[in-house]
Amino acid sequence: MTPHRPRRVLITGVSNPLGAEVARRLAPQVPQLFGCDVADPVSALEEMDFVHADTRLSVIGKLVRQLRIDTVVHLAVMVDSPHDERSIHETDVIGTMNVLVGCSGPASPVRRLVVKSSQAIYGAGAHDPSFFTEEMVNWDRPASGITRDLLEMEQLVSEFSLRTDACGVTVLRLGFRVSEDTSLARYLSLPIVPVFAGFDPRLQLLHEDDAAEAIVRAVVDDHQGAFNVAGDGVVLLSQAIDIMGGRSTPVLPPFGRWLSRLGLRALARIELPAYLADMLAFGSVMDCARLAAEFEWKPAYSSRQAMDALAAGKNVELIEAPSPRQEYELQVYLQQRRRRALRLSN
Amino acid sequence: MIETTARERRTKSQKAEIVAPRQGLRLPRPIRRLRRNAPMYAVQGLSALSTRLRELTGREVIDVGKVMEVVQFIYQQRELARRGPHYAVDDFGFDPQWTESFLIAFKVLYRDYWRVETTGVEHVPSSGRALLVANHAGVLPWDGTMIKTAVFAEHPHPRHVRALVASQFMGMPVMSWFLRRTGQAVGHPDDTRRLLARDELVLVFPEGTRGTGKSFKNRYRLTRFGRGGFVATAIRAQAPIIPVSVVGSEEIYPMLGDLGPVAKLFGLPYFPVTPFWPWLGPLGMIPLPSKWRIQFHPPVDVRELPVHAAEDQHLVMALADEVRDTIQRGIYHNLKLRRGVFL
Repeated sequence: MTPHRPRRVLITGVSNPLGAEVARRLAPQVPQLFGCDVADPVSALEEMDFVHADTRLSVIGKLVRQLRIDTVVHLAVMVDSPHDERSIHETDVIGTMNVLVGCSGPASPVRRLVVKSSQAIYGAGAHDPSFFTEEMVNWDRPASGITRDLLEMEQLVSEFSLRTDACGVTVLRLGFRVSEDTSLARYLSLPIVPVFAGFDPRLQLLHEDDAAEAIVRAVVDDHQGAFNVAGDGVVLLSQAIDIMGGRSTPVLPPFGRWLSRLGLRALARIELPAYLADMLAFGSVMDCARLAAEFEWKPAYSSRQAMDALAAGKNVELIEAPSPRQEYELQVYLQQRRRRALRLSN
Repeated sequence: MIETTARERRTKSQKAEIVAPRQGLRLPRPIRRLRRNAPMYAVQGLSALSTRLRELTGREVIDVGKVMEVVQFIYQQRELARRGPHYAVDDFGFDPQWTESFLIAFKVLYRDYWRVETTGVEHVPSSGRALLVANHAGVLPWDGTMIKTAVFAEHPHPRHVRALVASQFMGMPVMSWFLRRTGQAVGHPDDTRRLLARDELVLVFPEGTRGTGKSFKNRYRLTRFGRGGFVATAIRAQAPIIPVSVVGSEEIYPMLGDLGPVAKLFGLPYFPVTPFWPWLGPLGMIPLPSKWRIQFHPPVDVRELPVHAAEDQHLVMALADEVRDTIQRGIYHNLKLRRGVFL
């Protein structure tokens, strides 16, 4: 089989900040870039054709076939989102199922699929080893919430990759990120941080830049299988709070973490997903040796540097404010003109 | 000395900064000076007192060296508090500087409380990987801390021993924080492999909680050595196995009974009943001052074995038995050398 060069790339979930960053980095490297999402894109990108499409509907399959997409970058996987559990389940599991159905079939043009997953799939517990390698996913873990959704999603993806030889599948398990808009960052930025009494877990973090870079590399080069993506080293929770200038107060009872989550939601208005609460008690660290070996690349920011970057507010410039209305309309106009020119040349 | 003219001085001069007087009560100068010099005066007075007492009674009443160790411990804790978030931990969450500050405190226990006599510490390599295998006893894992202290205090190249602990302890508050911070890892084959791959000294207790939770009448009788997993890991990592016999740990908490239902309620492996616990409350947690001996045995070299020998269950179990016998014989030998339980 000749090595596949991505020509017509579709990014799902392009309107979230990570999707926008991936699109911006991918645009100069691929001839044709399409993006789809439910919401308007946060930043206008001239080289990308934006389509309003919902992965939860079967329209995504039609889109793939109609546009003769050969590479799908599935980023419409919600891990840390303010939506309720039901709609997260719909997006993560049903959405992925629809994308996979769209990519399968004997006549499918899709040759490469990149799926975003998360460190949350490993969960966190006292009985887990200190480092998670890619094989250590505990499929039988009695999980709830997002961990369960991710387990279900990855099961679908691995079934798909076993079934389909023509399409190479890459799953990227991204580490926890502390850009401005994640629950973890909001939690760490509190002036008084309530922590679980008697626990000081290790945190492993991934910078937003490195997350985007890993996805772009997975699209452009050919690496099949699952990969852990996270920064080097660890930061202790107490260190992270110190770096942020907060004060850690061990007031949360170490048992019955759901109660602490309720309390945090009521008092600090911070939505702490169950997997994050477990992580803040027991810690969760991934082994990224496979990424380093296969991609011949490793994240530029270590966990510590990602934390420092958050403290220095460097992430602010990374997340773009929505462009003004007029600019968006201008982009749509430019797109239409480009399409017309293409049609004429065909 | 650079000559400056009055004019230059005038042009370069800056207005004096007006500093607001500090809020609050300001103590008079002699008292401030006294407070600054108090630690020095205290040490001077103490050493003078100790000299006088030695002259009067003819023996050491106050050991200045020990007092200085306590002072050093307090200063180190203050130093640690001052470093803020500017320190690095390894991937396991191990903070060497913090651990060393605590080793000073453990050294007092090691030398003065349990009067540990260590032999064969030269069998522990100064560099490179090795797997220390020891017997496990006493309700709380004090034997682990004493082996760590022995290697750090007695070895010509002080090294940190990384012990593997049962995952139950990693789920306990305070315990998990302390164990991780002082360099312990979960008793999982993957963690052992990683630590050995980093050329660390790894300490395992193959008996696990079966050893610590056995009753007093079974003292110094080794229980089952797991399933020999430690041998397989050592063969795969090409690390020599060093058997370690510890005597004295059995008597620190003479365990008379085990309240199973209470243990189940708290999710503990056992709930001990000793002559003092739980009757005296927290006082019952003070270990008894038994006399300890630790012996490091010559290493069992598994480096000549091919890596696939780890799959050979027969060989693995034979080696595990050999290590177990060495430790058991070492225990009997050291029990004979000990004059009494508390002597």
